[in-house]
Amino acid sequence: MRVPLSWLADYVDLDLTPEALADRLTLLGMEVKAIERWGSDWRSVVVGELVAVDPHPNSERLSLARVNVGDGTLREIVCGATNIATGQRVPVALPGAVLPGGRRIERAEKLGVVSDGMLCSGDELRLTTDAEGILILPADAPIGRPLADLFGDVVLDVDVKPNRGDALSLVGLAREVAAVTGARVRLPRAEVAEEGPPVEERLRVEIEEPGLCPRFVGRWVDGVRVGPSPDRVQMRLLAAGMRPVSNVVDASNYVMLELGKPIHTFDAAAVEGGRIVVRRARPGETLETLDHEERILDPETLLIADPRGPLAIAGVMGGAASEVSEATRSVIIESAIFDPVSIRRTAFRYALRSEASLRFEKGQEFGLAPLGADRTAHLIVAWAGGTVARGRVDTNPREPEPVRIPFRPARVNRLLGTALSGAEQRELLARVGVETEPARGEVRVPVARGERPHDVVAAGEEAIVAVAPPWRRDLAIEADIAEEIARIRGYERIGGTRPDTPMPAYRRSPLGVRDAVRTALVGAGLAEVVTHALVAPEELEAYRLRRPVPSLDDPEPVATPIRVTNPLSSLHSVLRQTLLPSLTGVVLLNLRRGRPGVAIFEIGKGYGRGPEGPVEWWRLGIALAGAATPPSPLLPRRSFDLDDAKGLVEHVAAALGFAEPRFTAEADEPLFHPGRTARLEARLAADAAAIGLVGIVGELHPARLEALEIRDRLVLAELAVRGLGEGWLEPPKVAAPPRHPTVERDLAVVVGETVPAARVAETIRSSAGPLLRRLQLFDVYRGAPLGEGERSLAYRLTFWAEGRTLTEEEVEAVVAAVTGALEREVGGRLRS
Amino acid sequence: MSIDLAGLTRQLELLRDEILAAAAAAPDLASLERLQIDVLGRKGRLTAVLRGIGSLPADDRPKVGAVANAVRAAIEAAVAERREALRAEAIATRIASERVDVTLPGRPVPRGSRHPIPETIAAIAEVFGQFGFVVYEGPEVETDVHNFQMLNIPLDHPARDLWDTLYVDLDGYLLRTHTSPGQIRVMARERPPIRALLPGRCFRYEAVDASHGFEFFQVEGLMIDEGTSMADLRGLLDEFAGALFGAGRATRFRPGYYPFTEPSVAFDVRCVVCDGAGCPACSRTGWMTILGAGMVHPVVLQYGGLDPERYQGFAFGMGVERIANLRHAVADLRYYLENDLRFLEQFR
Repeated sequence: MRVPLSWLADYVDLDLTPEALADRLTLLGMEVKAIERWGSDWRSVVVGELVAVDPHPNSERLSLARVNVGDGTLREIVCGATNIATGQRVPVALPGAVLPGGRRIERAEKLGVVSDGMLCSGDELRLTTDAEGILILPADAPIGRPLADLFGDVVLDVDVKPNRGDALSLVGLAREVAAVTGARVRLPRAEVAEEGPPVEERLRVEIEEPGLCPRFVGRWVDGVRVGPSPDRVQMRLLAAGMRPVSNVVDASNYVMLELGKPIHTFDAAAVEGGRIVVRRARPGETLETLDHEERILDPETLLIADPRGPLAIAGVMGGAASEVSEATRSVIIESAIFDPVSIRRTAFRYALRSEASLRFEKGQEFGLAPLGADRTAHLIVAWAGGTVARGRVDTNPREPEPVRIPFRPARVNRLLGTALSGAEQRELLARVGVETEPARGEVRVPVARGERPHDVVAAGEEAIVAVAPPWRRDLAIEADIAEEIARIRGYERIGGTRPDTPMPAYRRSPLGVRDAVRTALVGAGLAEVVTHALVAPEELEAYRLRRPVPSLDDPEPVATPIRVTNPLSSLHSVLRQTLLPSLTGVVLLNLRRGRPGVAIFEIGKGYGRGPEGPVEWWRLGIALAGAATPPSPLLPRRSFDLDDAKGLVEHVAAALGFAEPRFTAEADEPLFHPGRTARLEARLAADAAAIGLVGIVGELHPARLEALEIRDRLVLAELAVRGLGEGWLEPPKVAAPPRHPTVERDLAVVVGETVPAARVAETIRSSAGPLLRRLQLFDVYRGAPLGEGERSLAYRLTFWAEGRTLTEEEVEAVVAAVTGALEREVGGRLRS
Repeated sequence: MSIDLAGLTRQLELLRDEILAAAAAAPDLASLERLQIDVLGRKGRLTAVLRGIGSLPADDRPKVGAVANAVRAAIEAAVAERREALRAEAIATRIASERVDVTLPGRPVPRGSRHPIPETIAAIAEVFGQFGFVVYEGPEVETDVHNFQMLNIPLDHPARDLWDTLYVDLDGYLLRTHTSPGQIRVMARERPPIRALLPGRCFRYEAVDASHGFEFFQVEGLMIDEGTSMADLRGLLDEFAGALFGAGRATRFRPGYYPFTEPSVAFDVRCVVCDGAGCPACSRTGWMTILGAGMVHPVVLQYGGLDPERYQGFAFGMGVERIANLRHAVADLRYYLENDLRFLEQFR
């Protein structure tokens, strides 16, 4: 809400500087977002008197004015407007002046006469909408005074919260100011000289839907002359952010800003027989609204209609046919109360949210209906002339009872952590117009309202009854009263205490495993990234796995994606199912920005649409591309490849206490390189029956690399990790180091190229028995003297026994068993 | 050939002189060792000379013995001295040969970086963890009921305008606009005393600029008990602001509005950029709002299954990016999800 202070001052005395006022309002919950100086963009614009206005010697369309700006000289100024006359006072931009928008005024020759400045229109100063004529100032405007002194203003931009519809008005904000300063609020004058016939002779209103329109107040004005509003009114409306239209329409907007009461005016000639019906739309009905859109009306829509058909969408927008125009002679003023929910739904349905609907949907004070109608009639007569018909049409003149809210001062203190007496609380409430009365006997204190109203019975001596003023529709329960008390007293005065209530029980953080993974991978040199969960549908499809990584303790992934029905952009319109597209995106971004190498990981969710609702699962993703080492004379240059990612997977497994991962070839995922991709699985070190880590790791398919213009390789991994969503790490159970010597044997096993190393290792492990404590591959060799299609895998086997020294014979026996098994199971032989 | 005392002594002295000269000239440790064995060993030359002692009169033998010991000692000392000299020489040579340019950079160790979002969440959780707050998480694809209705925001309520919502093709679901639905989920599973912290990703229908994004992160806090008051909220938030921005930083409590708290609070800290003087970062107010909070609305307590007369407490919610901006002097939150490594690598 934009609040011109000169206007606000009509309703309450402002004895504070704009900054101090803004501060007080902010601390009262009416946050001032900005303080704007209206007129600060006029430089060297002063009041001048037109001493003479003569025709321009060389032009029929221009005049030559002699202007006194109070500096003892007469300036000659050329002017094209036709509304000027001798004796008027007008704004004069002197040479060197700057107007809104940065326009500079200099002395300039115009058809042979040097113009010593410029006379300004209201539009040029952004004060009114009139661009044709010069702005004629009041006759008592002091000559020579800077215009900013006279018409400059300070405008506060106040963020009014949705619960305070009453404060979407100057009077409402004046009440807040009064609460701070103790000043009195002055309501605007609304007395109407009723000189016309009784209104009943002109206007009849029938409400078919009293639930949707609980009150309709109408007034009738004959003989108006529609034209521009007075300049001062236009200035106020513009400063408040509304465009002036005409005196009649401006009167309704003025009242809306002033009282918060939206008003609609109809050209009475367009209302058949002066009969208004408030009803729902009928199927097939249409209405051309003020914006000249032909709208097909939904039967939910509440209409203002006449016997012929729709006139306006109630509370949202008027119709073009009944719009007040220059031809209008009689005006119907509608000042009604509508059901907030219905207005909100309608405004959304037609995408027509307006200043009016915004106020209606927050609910309106009942008594504003007659006040708004009277004030509008008052202003129309003042600005457009005419006579007002006697009386108002009022479909529901009974004012509702004020809302009484019993509250317990002790409960208020318990909530706020204060120790305010009942009297202090009453005094604070009185400052915002909340009167109080003693509770007589037992009262029901409203603790909660809504679906399940909850009251607590309190004895009279422990309760006070607050009587909410009619404009405060937000006050309903005891906690609302507590907030008013805290607000008026000042939140600042609530001291900080440290809670001394009981501690909750210990609970493990669900972030434990995520933290451990993060520590491991950051320690290994990877950068953690966080990417969007919303991706493009094409990306989602392009990175879909034929066989998704299964979940361990999360729900299983679902292939049907969740789509956003109102996305901001198609690039972010569907929830991702793997981390791979976003990680690839980050790799590409960084390579394109000149990064030689990228090593990143993300811990994030995949999302899918299951039969019973949405499903979310946690995944760890890794991406590596480009240079694996920073440039250094001490390190050989190389690029990331599959082995780096596998090493990282092993590293994560070790960090989480899992056994070494087993890799198996995966040649059937179109996304990945068929010869450089593996599925993997790691068991828990403590429980070989349970899986700790499962996933896929591989290099992007070369065809895709080409499409993405990645020069060497992009290695990707997507992993499900036990406990990633909600888990913790058990401390490892450890064994003492062997006290007896360990024995090492190196075996070089020659096998065919097609025999996976994992099978060779498995054969060694299973045939060696429990004395084999560690198995490490330390060399792979191809070439002479090995045969074509053969390779040698060199393993170091480490043996030890608990509590004794191993004998040579024992070790030899194991090696013999291993050798035999290798020969039988993988066709391997030892290389001597 | 018979030998007398003088002759033997002379021989010993000659041997001594010869060996001392040889030891002093020994080119390396190995030849020095050979020389020592050659002279002092069991079959060495000193032993050989002393073999003549048998032909001496018994009276002279101790005298020769004394001379021989002196010779032995002299040789040993000379060898030891030379050994030391050779060692020192060897070390000096090694040092000379191993000299490097110590101003060269070291061998690089791979250096990773933690992303500021989870890192900031961890920092927030660490502070509140000290006050007994424990971490919970809720789903990101939420029900309208949890995200709005149970938070006292009915359908068609104007307060819905505070959250521009992204809806999904699942009836009754949306992308959560805040972490507040977690309040309901925690209350539904825990009995008071409750101290919960709920970090997570949120979504809004919001055009992206320096201070808005359609995806962002929040941390929600919830504390419920029988006497937890607004003064407790203030006290805890002051501790939090002190922990994050230094103990001396001024804070401000002012009215805010949320449908799910009553009273509602906006919590400001003195601008960390201008320290209150007024600058663009704080819109010239001298204050920066870091979180919204308030006393949990009785209707929300009811939806959480708690008696709103018996229990009361507070909730607060903060934007992780906003806190991260202040902690790390970042001016544009678009950097967080863009993931330019030149930005990220500055975090540790």
